[in-house]
Amino acid sequence: MLRLSSIDELKELREVLLDASDKSIPCIVIPTGTCGQASGASDLIRVAKREILAKGLTRKVRLRITGCHGFCQMEPSVLVEPRRVFYPRVGLKEMERIVEATARDEVLMDILFVDPETGKSVEKQDDIPFFNKQIRRLLAWNEKVDPIRIYDYIKVGGYSVLAEVFTKGNAAWVVEEVKRSGLRGRGGGGFPTGLKWELLAKQPNDRGKFLVCNADEGDPGAYMDRSVLEGNPHSIIEGMIIGACGTGATEGVVYARNEYPVAVKHLNIALEQAHRLGLLGENILGTGFSFDIKMVKGAGAFVCGEETALIRSIEGKMGEPRQRPPFPVQKGIEGKPTAINNVETWANITLIFRLGAGEFAKIGTRNNAGTKIFSLVGKVKNTGLVEVPMGISINEIVYNLGGGSTGKAKIKAVQTGGPSGGCIPADMFDLPVDYDSLAQAGSIMGSGGMIVMDDNTCMVDVAKYFMNFLKDESCGKCFTCRKGIQRMHEILEDVSRGRATLEHLDLLKELAEVVKDTTMCGLGQTASNPVLSTLRYFRHEYERHVVDKKCDAFVCKDLVGVPCQAACPLGTEVWRYAALIEKGDYVEAYRIIREANPFPSVCARVCDRKCETRCNHAVSGGEAIAIRSLKRFVTDRVAPEVYKPLRTHTNIGGGRVAVVGAGPAGLAAAHYLSLSGYKVTLIDSENEPGGMLLSCIPSYRLPRDVLRKEIESLLDYNITLRCGTSLGRDITIDEIFKDGFKAVFLAIGADKSWGLGLEGEKVKGVHPSMQFLKAFNLRGEELAKGHVGIVGGGNSAVDAARVAIRQKAVESVTLLYRRTSREMPAYAEEVEAAMEEGIILETLVSPVKIRYIEAAKAEGVRVETFVSPIKIDAKHGHLADIRCIRNELGETDSSGRRKPVPIPGTEFTIPLDRLIVAIGERPDSDCLAPMGLDVTKSGTPRVDAQTLATTRPGVFAGGDLVTGPNTVVDAIAAGKKAAGVIDRYLRGQEFREPPDVRLPRFFMEPATISDEDSEEAVRVEPAALPAESRRKNFAEVEMSLSTEAATREARRCLRCDLEFTRPEQNGQAECAAVEEKSA
Amino acid sequence: MITLRINGLDVSVEKGTTLLEAARFLGFAIPTLCHMDGLSPYGACRLCVVEIGEAPKAKLVSSCTYPAEEGLKVRTTSSRVLRARRMILELLLASCPQSKTIQDLASKHGIRRQRFKQEYEDCILCGLCVRMCEEQMMAKAIGFRNRGENREIGTPFDVKSDVCRLCGGCMYICPVCQLRCTYNEPEKAICGGCMNLSPPCIEKEPFDDMMCYMDPCVACEIQNNK
Repeated sequence: MLRLSSIDELKELREVLLDASDKSIPCIVIPTGTCGQASGASDLIRVAKREILAKGLTRKVRLRITGCHGFCQMEPSVLVEPRRVFYPRVGLKEMERIVEATARDEVLMDILFVDPETGKSVEKQDDIPFFNKQIRRLLAWNEKVDPIRIYDYIKVGGYSVLAEVFTKGNAAWVVEEVKRSGLRGRGGGGFPTGLKWELLAKQPNDRGKFLVCNADEGDPGAYMDRSVLEGNPHSIIEGMIIGACGTGATEGVVYARNEYPVAVKHLNIALEQAHRLGLLGENILGTGFSFDIKMVKGAGAFVCGEETALIRSIEGKMGEPRQRPPFPVQKGIEGKPTAINNVETWANITLIFRLGAGEFAKIGTRNNAGTKIFSLVGKVKNTGLVEVPMGISINEIVYNLGGGSTGKAKIKAVQTGGPSGGCIPADMFDLPVDYDSLAQAGSIMGSGGMIVMDDNTCMVDVAKYFMNFLKDESCGKCFTCRKGIQRMHEILEDVSRGRATLEHLDLLKELAEVVKDTTMCGLGQTASNPVLSTLRYFRHEYERHVVDKKCDAFVCKDLVGVPCQAACPLGTEVWRYAALIEKGDYVEAYRIIREANPFPSVCARVCDRKCETRCNHAVSGGEAIAIRSLKRFVTDRVAPEVYKPLRTHTNIGGGRVAVVGAGPAGLAAAHYLSLSGYKVTLIDSENEPGGMLLSCIPSYRLPRDVLRKEIESLLDYNITLRCGTSLGRDITIDEIFKDGFKAVFLAIGADKSWGLGLEGEKVKGVHPSMQFLKAFNLRGEELAKGHVGIVGGGNSAVDAARVAIRQKAVESVTLLYRRTSREMPAYAEEVEAAMEEGIILETLVSPVKIRYIEAAKAEGVRVETFVSPIKIDAKHGHLADIRCIRNELGETDSSGRRKPVPIPGTEFTIPLDRLIVAIGERPDSDCLAPMGLDVTKSGTPRVDAQTLATTRPGVFAGGDLVTGPNTVVDAIAAGKKAAGVIDRYLRGQEFREPPDVRLPRFFMEPATISDEDSEEAVRVEPAALPAESRRKNFAEVEMSLSTEAATREARRCLRCDLEFTRPEQNGQAECAAVEEKSA
Repeated sequence: MITLRINGLDVSVEKGTTLLEAARFLGFAIPTLCHMDGLSPYGACRLCVVEIGEAPKAKLVSSCTYPAEEGLKVRTTSSRVLRARRMILELLLASCPQSKTIQDLASKHGIRRQRFKQEYEDCILCGLCVRMCEEQMMAKAIGFRNRGENREIGTPFDVKSDVCRLCGGCMYICPVCQLRCTYNEPEKAICGGCMNLSPPCIEKEPFDDMMCYMDPCVACEIQNNK
């Protein structure tokens, strides 16, 4: 490499390089940052090279190996220039095809990026939503240059600004330009870079000055500096040379993390090349200016990112911060004036001089100029590096660039700034991302890590994680930082184990504030931010842990125990009966199920399976154990009589209890009260007990003989049934108490359908779904005829649709829902089954002129009111058709779902014979208020969530009446809870249930499963009646598992309980064995 | 000379004077654990924090390390300072309850309870011994090792240091009075033995994990002879 001895020679070199390159030849660009290498980009390079050589394509295809481009989620990716085609997640076979196709200048349409929103392939990188919403000033360079080739960098204009800087030769001008650009330090503090340089320039120059590039990036979840170091090290060197010109610095130091091997390697190569070319060292480009850069590798202490600690580390001492003042600009390395800037700041310096300060400042907001690279990680679809203008809202970053949540869970917070930063809750996502706004919200910009968290993230655990990190990474000099963080971690550990009290939370806050106040360096002063910000915005989560001993995110193991058991409102020991099925002991398995659940056969068919969504298989990306099918398997094989419930007879006073409503909640309450020795009278308005189980759930899902058998098994000698008695009409609460009952449990359910609020809804042919289902299920009346339309997307809508299609006079059934089927609240498999049965699903359709106000309110969504209602078209007083309008999905609302927005001019008409309105139900609770109960606006009685007590003493309420339409298992749980509360109430005890952590207690020997077995195992799906044979009849659709299938499925269970129950000696023996091996 | 205002009183001090020195010059008592005249300031215990500047930019700094600045306004006993000091003492008390120095300070500041889990550590890592050894005894036999919660004081590789003259300065200066240079293996000990007149074995129960290497140990002998 020839040493350049003048600025003109540099220009010449650039022209020669440009002449030599032929832009018409397509170039395959393979990003090979650490992220790319980790996902196999090195293999792609090998394949690409081999293909190009083997097929003799060296003159037709070029290959460039670059640093990370940012879309790490899609690594290993390939970019083909000049068409800028983007291929995500390229395999080795595909790489071969890409080489061939590129040589022929073709595009492989089948492996392009597919936009998950539209489902369409996107050819060009710049059209992909992740890329086209960014302003990629720094990251775009990474695509253009091979980091280990200085000529590449010079070709795209690298080092060209040095000409201007040197020829002007005016230090004051350089500093002024930086000040004019408004650049603030990208390391997190946000100190104006120009100001820092001005201070350095003013320092006496007798002993020399230092410029330092702080490349000690160590925040968990942040790696933007790494990508710049790896992908474009020369931009940093160029920035530092400019800095030296402006400040008169004589020596430069890059303090790099040793844990970034690729970055260290590339930087070393770049420094060496810059030296050889005469861009560093004595007499740079013959201008007489001398400046040299050396690299110092950090030994992995996080605190060395703090500038005074970094200085000590460079000096070869222990990385420990010291008091400022004196500031490094006054007294830095070896006592000489030192300016320290972050990697991204140095890269931005180069950018400022290329674009001009004015142009640079055009992007961003006032006081926050330019772009910032963020590393977007966590629970978002698109993880990677994004470069956005300062002042963009968090919403845009998380939803537009990040693509929103990965799964169904709602995004609840974003953590910025690493361990020194804080959590910003989702309702503050409008916040502009700049230094000042973030600081105001209790977080910091930090170096640019952005960790997205959803409902599966426990904020206590997040705070604990960061405290654990800082506990080790604090230098330990300041007592408050060292001990304070240890103590904060200790308290958080107590909170996450359910051992803390509310006083601990106050102590935590007090301590956090003192730690923030009294420590010397930036690390300590910001160390409490994770704790303080989570306490500020998520105190309710802390209180859940402390008061109720519950971790709603299912993270804190000591509160959750086994996820499936914790998810079940009844606390069924799923792991235990799965293990018993595996061992073939079905009777014992039945006992375990029945112990927790008085309706095992019902739940085996209609439970919404909260357990399966929390199964660790499902959470870790696999398929959950088919728990409901296993339950069905057991209940189909074992007679209920094998279970003899334990009678406790805690009722000493002989009090009688009235239970109003014989649905699942009422029946469960009556059953458990009876077990405690109470005489119970069960009052129901229908002629048969069962409630919604009977009147609403169709018999093809829940056969009536199964249901009746189960109900009968619960009605014992303590329970008296009074059917056909309606609360309010036939009996009042006062009368009940007058009859000598000591307590009342109201569980009358929610069986009144919401109307559409549309004129003409009263015409013949329009039925509320409840009326329709009850007419059929209780009385066998078939109300549906001809062409039937059903409005709604919940389970009752789907039930109504599937009942309708089974009725004789029905020709077609159309289900109308206002969002896409993805957002339907009904169980996915029910929707699928309905479609199999020939039900037409019209999604993104909502009946026009309908005010969804009431329904929407029940759903918690805000919908704007519609002005001109047009009646449902009717002929001779009978429904003729309904007019509908098409919707599109609009903005994401605060619930994380996208609002349906009607598209004007898309109205259309569906001719209908029957319309079933199934947009939700509410309790028929008009009678409650006159009886002395407080009733909320939505018609539910006001109830203490902990005790189910209403405002009237002795009256309790639960089930759908309180929650609105809900699942069967929740209703059973409410009834079970009510029985306990009423028992305690009648015995004169505190009736609030003590918080209960259900940890597994019984050790069940795990099955021996080989790795191959567990890898091959897939979820068992129960067989279903073929669609054609289930039309027009009500035979049960879902079938039971075979013994073999059930055993196989049970073996698939991960047995999360073993963590808690495995006998101690076993663990020790295992440890010993491992130690022996390693020795 | 630099003029600054401490608790409303103006004082002129020489350049390079710390806030602690200036405050003491005026007679304002500021508690310290890691400071000693004759040793370089370190700022580890944070007990000496004072409030400087004016709201909303007022902040706490350690007075032992902060240099006096022209026109600086300093408050040595503002509520913010006292609140911080009390929390620090509570933390200290939770870690080293056996130290007379800490007990006295805590009592002086009205600490009546401590809400953290009790520990029995024998070191608050104030670094006095390290500086004593280096700056006054010119030995550099001991130093800090590790970071964060693993930070400790000791000789390199836990081997008796050749430069140690067994002067006992490190123990003399220790505010926790718990045998700075204690080692369970006597040949590795860097000092001549414990000069502490209240060996830990007297209150053995709370110190189960502590080891006494004194031979002969007066306290144990008295107990054995009973």
